Amino acid sequence: MTTKKKIFKIVLIVIGTGIIIAGGVGYYMFNKPARDVQNTETDFNYQASEIVNEYLMDSQKANDKYLDEAGNSKVLEITGTVAKISTDFNSQTVILLKDEGDKAGVSCTFTPETNANAENIKIGDLVTIKGVIRSGATFDEDLDMYENVIIEKSDIVASN
Amino acid sequence: MKKTIFTALAAIALTFTTFNASAQKLVSSTTHFKFFSSTPAENIEANNYKTVSTLEPATGEIVFSVPMQSFEFEKALMQEHFNSKKFLDTKTNPKAKLTGKIADLSKVNFTKDGSYPVDVDGELTINGVTNPVKEKATIIVKNGKVALTSKLNVTLDDYKIAFKSGKPSTNIAKTVEVTVEANY
Repeated sequence: MTTKKKIFKIVLIVIGTGIIIAGGVGYYMFNKPARDVQNTETDFNYQASEIVNEYLMDSQKANDKYLDEAGNSKVLEITGTVAKISTDFNSQTVILLKDEGDKAGVSCTFTPETNANAENIKIGDLVTIKGVIRSGATFDEDLDMYENVIIEKSDIVASN
Repeated sequence: MKKTIFTALAAIALTFTTFNASAQKLVSSTTHFKFFSSTPAENIEANNYKTVSTLEPATGEIVFSVPMQSFEFEKALMQEHFNSKKFLDTKTNPKAKLTGKIADLSKVNFTKDGSYPVDVDGELTINGVTNPVKEKATIIVKNGKVALTSKLNVTLDDYKIAFKSGKPSTNIAKTVEVTVEANY
C-alpha cells in the first residue's frame, strides 16, 4: 500500500512538473520577444554590388537563398559606399549603400537603439552594415524604376 | 526696358520650372503602412516603413510596392504567423502591390497648398492574388511638397489569407485596417 502511494505521488509530481514546464514554454513562445538581429551570427558577407547583382540576375533563386518562410531571413553584412542618408516615419536612420555605376543599392534601416551609431557617417564613406534582409533588388515595371535590397535592424560594423 | 525683358524672361523660366516640377513623377521612400486587426481576443498591430511609392501628378497614377517581411509586430510569434505559408507566404510573395489612378484628378492642384480628398481606382495584389479596389485617399500639398494618406479595409479572405483553425483564426479579424502615409 505504501509503495503504491509512493508511486502515485511520484507520478503526480512528474505530471505536475510536466504541465508547469509545458505551460512555461507555451507562455514564453507566445511572448517571445522580436529576434535580436545584431546578436545573431552573420550568414553572408558581401559588397553592395554583389548582392544587388545576384538579385538582378535571378530574384527567384536569391529569394530562395535569403528569405525565410517565417520571416527570420538571412543576416547579412554589406560593405559599400554611402550614397544617401535619410530618416523614416519612425525616426529611424536609413543609409543607402550604392556603389558607383550600380542600378540599385542596399537600403539599410537602423533602429531607435542603433540610430546614434550612424550619426557620424557621411555620404561617400565606405562602411560595413549588418542587418536582416527583407527583400531584394529588382526592376519594378509599375514603379518604372529599380528597387533596392532592403536590410533592417541595422547597425554599423565597420567604418573608415 | 532691358530690365522688363529680363523680368519677363525670368518669369517665363520660373513658370516652366514649376510646370516641370509638377509634371515630373514623384518618388517616395518615406512611407508608413500600419496593419491593424481588432477582435475581442486582442488587438494586433504591425508597422512597415520600407514601402516605395510613385505618384505621377500629370496622370494621377499611383504605385505602392510593399516589402511584406518589413511588417514588424510586437510579438515575434505573430510576425512568424504573418509571414508563414498559411498566412501571407512572404517567401513566395515578398511584395504586395497597389497600382491605381486618381479618378478625380482635376480636384487636385499640385501647385497650391491644400488638402484634397480623392478617389483612387486600382488593383491590389497581396499573397499573389489581385483584386480591384476603390479607395479614398487625401493628397496634401504643402510648400511644394506632396504627401498622401489613406485608410483601406482589406478583407483577408479576398486574398486567400485564412487560418482554418487554432488561435490565429480567432484572434485575427476577418477584415483588417491598413493605414497608409507617404511623403513624396
